[in-house]
Amino acid sequence: MTKAFAILALMAGTLCAQEFKIGSHVPDFQVRDLDGKPVAFSALKGPITVVTFIATECPVSNSYNHRMIDLYKDYTAKNVKFIFVNANRSEPANEVREHARRVGFPFAVYKDPDNVLADRFDAQVTPESYVIDSSGVIRYHGAIDDNMNESRVHTRTLRAALDALLDGKPVLSTQTKAFGCTIKRVRRAS
Amino acid sequence: MKRTLAFLFCLPLVASAPLVPLVPINEAGFQKLVEAHKGKVVLYDFWATWCAPCRAELPQLALLEDKLRAQGLQVVTISADDQDHKAAAEKFIQMFRVDGPAYLKQADNDDHFINAIDPKWSGALPALFLYDKAGHKVRSFVGETDMAEIERAVHRLL
Repeated sequence: MTKAFAILALMAGTLCAQEFKIGSHVPDFQVRDLDGKPVAFSALKGPITVVTFIATECPVSNSYNHRMIDLYKDYTAKNVKFIFVNANRSEPANEVREHARRVGFPFAVYKDPDNVLADRFDAQVTPESYVIDSSGVIRYHGAIDDNMNESRVHTRTLRAALDALLDGKPVLSTQTKAFGCTIKRVRRAS
Repeated sequence: MKRTLAFLFCLPLVASAPLVPLVPINEAGFQKLVEAHKGKVVLYDFWATWCAPCRAELPQLALLEDKLRAQGLQVVTISADDQDHKAAAEKFIQMFRVDGPAYLKQADNDDHFINAIDPKWSGALPALFLYDKAGHKVRSFVGETDMAEIERAVHRLL
């Protein structure tokens, strides 16, 4: 019996492995607003959509707060839509709301209960971004730029990806990694 | 317990002791480090001063190394802090009495550095990479990990 459960858990692990990768089509998914109401990706998406996993307590994510605000302002004007998601089990909706108020985010932040969406994207750190084009295909995955210290940034990879897509050009750097805080996931029985 | 008491009693001394400078390391340096440590079981601990779970893990790793050093365990710490936080990282290493070799990541490109350490690693901290005596990476522990699980994995290699 135990063995059967172990096999099922392994199968579930395989099935639950990263579903959305560079080049793959993203089907509709749901996040929750801070009142707990489900909101569909289809209701939030635009011609180009950026999904970014963020946190309230992660110093790396917080070091990007103002850069995220600038991104939002600069690219919303170009009809890019942004979906900011908090998937941390340790950061409840009321904390996310207070953090957004304190920082002055001009955008909504959504919750991803039980990190279901983070699992589908295989998001591991905060901040971590995904860019989805008009056909629903992921064209960029990774860091916002290459340094948490804004004065040391050399490459703004997320902006480069958005600019390329807006110009109808291929994204040159499709995946980048950066140091960040882990997404604090729910502990699932295995 | 002994270490905790020693830590508390020695705090004033530690505070005034000279800091041991962290040695800069890039991806090529890491490969040399792995070569140099063949013959020992090594836990490479990637951490940063801004990472709370990393700070919580450091003293536990120091204890684990104390316990298993004689059997061949070596803990090597590599701070992912940038140069601006080098002094703070050195203070943490000193405060937590981490005795093993301590390094500071000095990479031109974090993306390349992370991929060189482990292509499957996202860059999330804390991250521990366990190498066997032959210098092969056998396991990784990313995020908050139960120290007992790490110890069991180390024991299997000693």
